[in-house]
Amino acid sequence: MTPETAVVQALNGISFGALLFILAAGLSLIFGMMDVVNLAHGAFYMLGAYITLSVVQRTGQFWLALVLAPVLIGALGLLMEPLLLRRLRGRHLDQVLLTIGVSLVIADLIGLTWGREIRSVPFPAGLDHAITILGGDYPVYRLFVIAFGAALAVVLAIVHRRTRVGALIRAGVQDAPMLAALGVDIDRLFAVTFAIGAALAGLAGVIAAPVFGIYPGMDVDYLIYSLVVVVVGGLGTLSGAVAGSALIGPADTFGKVLVPQFALALIFAIMALVLLLRPTGLLGRIRIAR
Amino acid sequence: MDENNGAERRYRLTRRQFLAASSAAAAIAACGPAATPNPSGAATVEPTASPGPALKIGQLLPFTKVYAELGNSMKRATDLYLKQKGNKLANRPVTVVYEDEANDPVVGAQKTQKFIDSDRVDLMMGIVATPIAYAVRNAIDAAKLIFIETNAGGNALTRTTTNCTPSCKSKYIFRTSFSSYQISYPIGEYFATQKGVKEVFTFVADYGFGNESAADFTSGFTKGGGKITGGLKAPLGSADFLPYVTQIKAQNTKDIYSFFSGTDAINYIKAWTQLGMPAAGYKMNGAGFLTEQDVLKEVKEQANGATTSLFWAVTLDNAENKAFVDAYQKEYSLLPDVFAVQAWDGMQAVDLALQAVKGDTSNKDAFIAALESVKFKSPRGDFEFDKETHNPIQDMYIREVKVQSGQAVNTIVGKVARVTDPGK
Repeated sequence: MTPETAVVQALNGISFGALLFILAAGLSLIFGMMDVVNLAHGAFYMLGAYITLSVVQRTGQFWLALVLAPVLIGALGLLMEPLLLRRLRGRHLDQVLLTIGVSLVIADLIGLTWGREIRSVPFPAGLDHAITILGGDYPVYRLFVIAFGAALAVVLAIVHRRTRVGALIRAGVQDAPMLAALGVDIDRLFAVTFAIGAALAGLAGVIAAPVFGIYPGMDVDYLIYSLVVVVVGGLGTLSGAVAGSALIGPADTFGKVLVPQFALALIFAIMALVLLLRPTGLLGRIRIAR
Repeated sequence: MDENNGAERRYRLTRRQFLAASSAAAAIAACGPAATPNPSGAATVEPTASPGPALKIGQLLPFTKVYAELGNSMKRATDLYLKQKGNKLANRPVTVVYEDEANDPVVGAQKTQKFIDSDRVDLMMGIVATPIAYAVRNAIDAAKLIFIETNAGGNALTRTTTNCTPSCKSKYIFRTSFSSYQISYPIGEYFATQKGVKEVFTFVADYGFGNESAADFTSGFTKGGGKITGGLKAPLGSADFLPYVTQIKAQNTKDIYSFFSGTDAINYIKAWTQLGMPAAGYKMNGAGFLTEQDVLKEVKEQANGATTSLFWAVTLDNAENKAFVDAYQKEYSLLPDVFAVQAWDGMQAVDLALQAVKGDTSNKDAFIAALESVKFKSPRGDFEFDKETHNPIQDMYIREVKVQSGQAVNTIVGKVARVTDPGK
């Protein structure tokens, strides 16, 4: 591999990692706060991509989809938490089964609504060209994904550390019953957290739609990637999601290039290694059983 | 002691039950041949004059998961064919039983067994994915069930292989689609001998079919005097194609041969144009599915200039294709695809063979002989089965994607006539 190719491949890896971060952040947030492994996360992601398809077909406005899809899917999360999840609070296996069920229903409804053909949306105007890096072309959209992922990480970090909602979420992660005892409406806080997590999955769907195609089964494909990212990075922490995606994205890319036969296995090998050395993930906390 | 007695009693009970059940079964079996057509025994008790009993066709197609749309397309073509014939083939009314193979060899095997045991179909058609076709091959052969394969293109299904691993030809299995060899070898030879291409780099999906395609292309291309300079493989369903295309750009061979389909093809073509491959002089080529309708309508002019081979194109200029495309469009208000053509030709083959035996499917060997001799004009051109392998003999078209009045279409730029699978 020439140095130029190596740089381009590094960019490929970082942009894939940035996308994985957007996808994994919501999953990690919901787990950290609510102790729920939301297996409907992939379905929310898929729904984001299909909403993008409709919005782009009707209006040609990718940026409208970038706003609309997270809002709609966030609203869906806001409904789903009190109606379904709340009844099962603390019952982990039941919650896992419920979210699997929800994901199957969403995937089938998507199939009925949008059909089961493979679809794709064009790159948004202004980001559909390539620029010259090291004498070679590089797609601008990939640079946008990197920038977007980085910006999102910063915004989430600020919300998490500096705002009241962030303080409540941090407190809730530590000890939700105590927070409730202090008079905080924990039900509302959980519903909002779940909605934000769902909206982030939808956002990832929008960002991924122009690059990775839109097709039945995409929910499961990417759910696995995002689970690997949060497990490697450490469950339930924002910095863990950043670390996990920064590791898995480039590992996937360089794996494809250097050991193509083992590219997928490589990711799981990394996961196994991390879990052997640090059972809570790279930046994970030790959870207090409750 | 008590326990032993209990066990003894239970054992006797089950044996008694077994005897009762088996005698009942024997009684049913004794009545059976009188009530239902007996395919293998002294078949003369059955009336062979038309109109006979309904012909039952089992169609095993994907209606869920990734290939659902392919199954729908093939069902549409089947239904259209039967509608045009007033739901009768060779004066026999036709019942079609549809089952979902769900892109799963285990499910496929179960549904095939259901066709054989409980539906007692006269013949079976369908199956999109090669692993499923391989998985049901032995059951079909053992049950002497005639099966018209309407998509899966794995070479082994119509070839002689040792010990039938992973599969091999059966006299009961016919194919109206293609073999991997047919869509890959001729374009290799064509590139070397007609197009004057000297070097090719391969990049294919890393699964049975992609590997077969790369190997067949390589043997055709090198036989014509070309040289393969290297190759890459991507796992089926790769999320990110940019790393691969970056690697392709880092090597010097300009002509690339690829086998991808569906989302893989779309993501590959998008990454290809994003990295500026056409401007850098790289040429995308491949087996026809790389630029079939499903892909082309999503990537549009981004596939401009790609050269692929397939036995059909929606623009193919012959009377049968025009009639087929018109009828399909009129019925469903959408363009047919290659999968619809394959299912359509499956029905045509069955129809003509049935006519040749006057609707009588009780003599299997006669029906097989009739299928072997079937010749007809298909939307793809002249169609007949290779009597040796039961794989179709058909023309391969070399197609180039061109943008005409804002639409990307596969235009035909060459033809390799009467391609047949080598069968070994």
